Amino acid sequence: MDRNLKLQIYRNMILSRRLEERIAELIKAGQVGGFMHPGVGQEALQCAAIAALRRDDYMLYAHRGVAYWVARGIPLEKVLCDLAGREGGTNRGKGGVMRVVYPELGVLGESGTLGGCFPIATGAGLSIKVKGGDQAVLCFFGDGTSNRGTFHESMNLCAVRKLPVVFLCENNGWAVSMPTERSTAVKDIADRAKGYAVPGKVVDGNDPEQVFAAVSEALQRARTGGGPSLVEAKTYRLWGHWIGDPESYRSREEVEKQWRRDPIPIYEANLAKEGVLNDSLRSEADADARTKIDRAIEFMQKQPFPKPESALEDVFA
Amino acid sequence: MRTITYAQGIKEALVEEMRRDPTVILYGEDVANFGGIFRITSGLKEEFGEERVFDTPISENAFVGAGVGAALTGLRPVVELQFADFLFTAGDEIVLKAGMWRYGHGGAYRIPLVVRCPSGAAGVGPEHGQCPEAFFMHAPGLKIVSPSNPADAKGLLKAAIRDNNPVLYFEHKLLYAAKGEVPEDPDYVVPLGKAAVVRPGDALTLVAISAMVPKALAVADRLAKEGHHIEVIDPRSLCPFDRPAIVESVKKTGKIVVAEESYRTLGVGAEIGALLMEQALEYLDRPLRRVAIPDVPVPTAAVLEKFVIPSEEKIYQACRELLS
Repeated sequence: MDRNLKLQIYRNMILSRRLEERIAELIKAGQVGGFMHPGVGQEALQCAAIAALRRDDYMLYAHRGVAYWVARGIPLEKVLCDLAGREGGTNRGKGGVMRVVYPELGVLGESGTLGGCFPIATGAGLSIKVKGGDQAVLCFFGDGTSNRGTFHESMNLCAVRKLPVVFLCENNGWAVSMPTERSTAVKDIADRAKGYAVPGKVVDGNDPEQVFAAVSEALQRARTGGGPSLVEAKTYRLWGHWIGDPESYRSREEVEKQWRRDPIPIYEANLAKEGVLNDSLRSEADADARTKIDRAIEFMQKQPFPKPESALEDVFA
Repeated sequence: MRTITYAQGIKEALVEEMRRDPTVILYGEDVANFGGIFRITSGLKEEFGEERVFDTPISENAFVGAGVGAALTGLRPVVELQFADFLFTAGDEIVLKAGMWRYGHGGAYRIPLVVRCPSGAAGVGPEHGQCPEAFFMHAPGLKIVSPSNPADAKGLLKAAIRDNNPVLYFEHKLLYAAKGEVPEDPDYVVPLGKAAVVRPGDALTLVAISAMVPKALAVADRLAKEGHHIEVIDPRSLCPFDRPAIVESVKKTGKIVVAEESYRTLGVGAEIGALLMEQALEYLDRPLRRVAIPDVPVPTAAVLEKFVIPSEEKIYQACRELLS
């Protein structure tokens, strides 16, 4: 990985973290709706995996966090307008922040039902194969979602038809209040790859460089006819399931211990050690993030709400 | 004009549209090597190749949802479900994905997807013998067609494949062998959302869907001999639903019977009843009559199935009651 790529991933991690903190403030202040699932702690894997994509690839992101959109380059003001249910977003108030969509960058949207992403990703892979292209599809999902039947059906269908889909599990240890060890019989979700005769790899999801390498390898395999892969990125959900989650199901000690694995300071330290990052670049990244967010919020607050009768549009093409 | 079967009409539509448009693909359980359990798609893999015509594992959620994903990314998939009942197996993918992906994403994408659904009671019991159209009329974002004859089978399927929205195409198993005249013009299409007055009349409106249409025509013949010239309307599409065609007919006849192979409660007849309450109450001189399945699953044994499926006799009796 070259220096610029490392810095790009780092900047996206910072921008995502700052944006999420501001969104939490907006939600708490009642300025925007609250159907947002924070991804604090998972930015490293999200930013790094997306950095491995080509512009013409497809992606399906998961419920957690803003880093997917930040890393893919969707303008922040559009994301905020979707969150606020205003004009100027990507889905005209129809889907909220859960359905940010960006066809120009292959961002196909989001399934409201967990696990609905898998068949859609399979179909995008099918399209690529039928048209004879060398793009790939990156499909994010959580450890909890890996228990949906659609995961099994889609992994198998992609494997038998050798479809170019990379399944990226963000194992953050929790499905709302259910810890992974109680929901899931295997220790590593990646073990399930064996059931479909596809490669399964576990990486430290808080280390962007490990994630980048594993996802790049899986994408390369997909592009060259090797079919699907499963990558499991071990991480942790540092915030609650939603803004205001009382988190009565897990101990404060557990969460405090995990904050010591927060990927941002760790990556900062590693990049500083390598001479890629210094104090001035670090403050620049932070200041730049804050400026971008301020501008985007200002834009969002000036946008009108959609016309009520536009609720009747967009059912059929 | 030449005469072909309903099954041949379906196959011709598939072949012609696949020749015309390389983005049309066809897949489902047993459709490629075997040609489908109802033998509709035999020879298609040989003509169009294994990339465009292929067999899927028994994975309705994955392959129906993949149809949505493929439609989002530039293909026009025709997905065959082995039985219409399996729409419920793929419920999320049909109702929440095919029906709502476009809307939920503010119209960013279109979804040109056709799901072929062999429907109807044929001695196959509760989970293989339903006509579940009415369930999906309640679901926004899905177009629904139910052809009753070979010409409509071909023309509606071609229109469905060319449409930029998800279409559930219900092909009744008992109609596959039905014969009728079908145009050979490769651009013959039957527009979605347009009902057909299959027999004009003024004594009563008989709305019949899918396999009920041949029965309705037999009833009309019988009543004609008794001096009652009834009008038979085949909606053909249930979404979009040609409401004006029904309202106009009732304004003329003042009486209506709906014959359908759905369950009675909240079936197509219930929607027609509500429509007439709203738009044509003053024209009705007798109450609406519904001939439908009496809210039980479809039984398997012939004697039981025959008892619950609307018969020519039951439709005739409902009409007689209003005409007396």
